[in-house]
Amino acid sequence: MYNRKGNGILGIIITIIILIVLVIVTNMETSKLYNAQNIISKVVLPVQNGITYLKNKISKNNAFFADLDSLRQENQTLKDENSKLEQQLRELEVIKAENETLKQYQALAEKYQNYKTMPAYVINRDISNYSKTIVINVGKDDGIKENMTVIADEGLVGYILSVTSNTAKVQTIIDSASATSCITSSTRDLMVCKGTIDGTSTLKASYISIDSNIIEGDSVETSGMGGLYPKGMHIGRVTKVTEGKNKIDTTLEIQSAVNFDKLETVLIITN
Amino acid sequence: MKKIFINIIIVISFIFIYLLQANFFTWFKIAGVMPNLFIILMLYIGLFMGRTSAITYGIILGMLVDIFIGRRLGISSIMLAVIGLIANLFDKNFSKDNRITVMAMVGICTIIYEAGAYLLSSLILDINLEIFAFIKILTVEALYNVILTIIIYPIMQLTGYDVEEEYKGSKILTKYF
Repeated sequence: MYNRKGNGILGIIITIIILIVLVIVTNMETSKLYNAQNIISKVVLPVQNGITYLKNKISKNNAFFADLDSLRQENQTLKDENSKLEQQLRELEVIKAENETLKQYQALAEKYQNYKTMPAYVINRDISNYSKTIVINVGKDDGIKENMTVIADEGLVGYILSVTSNTAKVQTIIDSASATSCITSSTRDLMVCKGTIDGTSTLKASYISIDSNIIEGDSVETSGMGGLYPKGMHIGRVTKVTEGKNKIDTTLEIQSAVNFDKLETVLIITN
Repeated sequence: MKKIFINIIIVISFIFIYLLQANFFTWFKIAGVMPNLFIILMLYIGLFMGRTSAITYGIILGMLVDIFIGRRLGISSIMLAVIGLIANLFDKNFSKDNRITVMAMVGICTIIYEAGAYLLSSLILDINLEIFAFIKILTVEALYNVILTIIIYPIMQLTGYDVEEEYKGSKILTKYF
């Protein structure tokens, strides 16, 4: 049985304190640790510099290393400039295509006005680390049916998975069981966006065309294929392009436009 | 009469844990990961209330979890019942009097539950397996559950033996002699 009562309570208090510290530290943004980093670098840097200077003096490699450093810097600057120019070139090509699609956007804006929407509040979030469904406060009594599209101000949220008389369960696009047919706004490249278990607002896109010309920052929207979501719903932006050994293995990382951590109100498209 | 009271307390505990998971732990996370207290509740039932209760509660409570928020009915149900059975096996082979043993049981049960639930989900829902991401989350979750066991353990000990006496009665003696 639990005999050492005093020790036990002390242990529990220490555990609670450790838990609170762990939660605070692991959720803290690294930018907020600037002061701590600054102090550490102020203490460490002079020592590090001194040691490096002494090492170079002893081995008489001081000048060589200085030259090497400047060459490295120059090389890096040139590389940066080159990649910037390449990106600008690609962006110019993309602008051409964008011009074409702008007309379609205009039509889409008018189309959005035709959607009949119903506002709802998020009343419950998933209790598991591996799925990302939410529960909203409207249901069958309010005219909500399965497979209806759910959106937020920023873009697509997901679709209605199941309904009760007063609530509805929403399968979000970031859930790992969700697969959305998408298209890039500028280059019109088709892909399939799937949710991941890692991260709260990230999607992974695959099945991308071999001759696609997608760059970081491209906007992604629903393609309208599959019949679940209407065409042109904003999903997010490409944050990372990963090319595999074969061109067909290319995957994209997409940051969803909707901040699912802070999602409180949604709109359900009812028509 | 006492059994009815115990069952009411278990149901209240389930609702309390559900509210904790859905509200408090959605922001009280370690590295973006929340614990799973349902596993600890099932371990408690399996350790102190016997196999029949463990399976019954596992299926019913799992079904409720799936109805409230799950994507498919049955995944939590199956896995919680499995945890109840494993807890019953632990009861037959290990001592519950040691805090470290119970912490290890919680860690093992968390790994089995989440790995099973993830595999079942991937089979039923056509999910791409993300092994590294899964292991990362699972490690933090298991550790979180183990840390929480330090806090919950005294309550388990305080109430557990009364519950065990009520449910197992004379069977307890045969285990030791």
